Amino acid sequence: MTHPAPRDRAPDAAGVTYVFAVCRGTRAVNTADVTGLAGMPGGAAVRLLPSGPLTAVVQTVPADDFTDEVWQARLSDPQEIERYARAHHEVVSAAAVHGPAVPLPLATLYHDDDRARRALDGEAHRFHGVLKRIAHHAEWGVKVYEPEPPAAQEEREPAPVGDGGREAPAPGAGLAYLNRKRGVQERRERRREQALSVAESVDAQLRALAAASRRLRTHAAVPGGDGRVHVLNATYLVADQRAEELAALVRALGERTGTRIELTGPWVPYSFVGEV
Amino acid sequence: MTDLDFRQGSPPANGPQSTTNLADILERVLDKGIVIAGDIKIDLLDIELLTIRLRLFVASVDTAKKAGIDWWETDPALSSRAKRDALEDENRRLRERLQALEPAGTDETDRNVDDRDNSKEAGQR
Repeated sequence: MTHPAPRDRAPDAAGVTYVFAVCRGTRAVNTADVTGLAGMPGGAAVRLLPSGPLTAVVQTVPADDFTDEVWQARLSDPQEIERYARAHHEVVSAAAVHGPAVPLPLATLYHDDDRARRALDGEAHRFHGVLKRIAHHAEWGVKVYEPEPPAAQEEREPAPVGDGGREAPAPGAGLAYLNRKRGVQERRERRREQALSVAESVDAQLRALAAASRRLRTHAAVPGGDGRVHVLNATYLVADQRAEELAALVRALGERTGTRIELTGPWVPYSFVGEV
Repeated sequence: MTDLDFRQGSPPANGPQSTTNLADILERVLDKGIVIAGDIKIDLLDIELLTIRLRLFVASVDTAKKAGIDWWETDPALSSRAKRDALEDENRRLRERLQALEPAGTDETDRNVDDRDNSKEAGQR
């Protein structure tokens, strides 16, 4: 990475320790699961760092490429964020293949292995608590979408105004137009209310099956996108032996309500490690 | 440009496949309670701010570029590269002024200017 101005000191060639996830003792993670991975761009090999009864999945990365300044630039570039977020996610997912792994947030960095180890030791009881909680569980994301408008052209704002030869408006056309608009607006609101109530009942039923649940922010419709809107973006911590039940329930709810419900997962329980 | 896909939500998200929706990944890798504090403080922004920024960027950048609009690339508030450029410019101007004031300027004074710049940089964040 280029520095803003030439500095007096030579660029810091030293490495720092990037921690992806924390697992139980070394045997829980098969070294082969993580060591083949690329990890962070520009980093050394992904490896295991044992620390007492815990094992961290770490990588040595170039210090001068992992400063706050460089990250700020990275966060302004959608492609860069994608690259680093996916790299992080890939290692975390691999770490969790053979046993529970507590994912750490993107860009958790220590000056060296010793510092990382000390940080883990200091929080060992929390890690053990979380590991116990998420063992044999996975996170599943559920999104409920607002139904598509029945007659698409009628709803969309005056997007394709293609009618070139416009005729003179008939008398009362303005009022008719307003009434039509009002009708569209009312139908849209009604649809949204219905979708929200479907979302609430979906969430209630899934919560009954899950060990824990969280609401995430709904993603707003993307300008220029396909216009699909979430009314529920939730995530559930579900015991492994209930995963099939969950999938069946989601399918059944979708059919019963005629609503598009999307299930993603299994995820490493990212959303369920923050509190304990 | 639109590799960052906030729309497509349907791919089966099993582990680290590249088909996994990026928005789903971001809200998981960024938006969670810090389990443990790192040595190096990285300010990753609030996920909401970040996604708004990216969404606006993705939605508008192609259209705008087609129209020859690229002001955000030079606006220090919007582009970190521009912020750096602005700092560099300022550094150069300051160095030139100092040189004019002290024609016999040594390396020592140069370094002082640099230090001052660095602290300013830190203050801007």
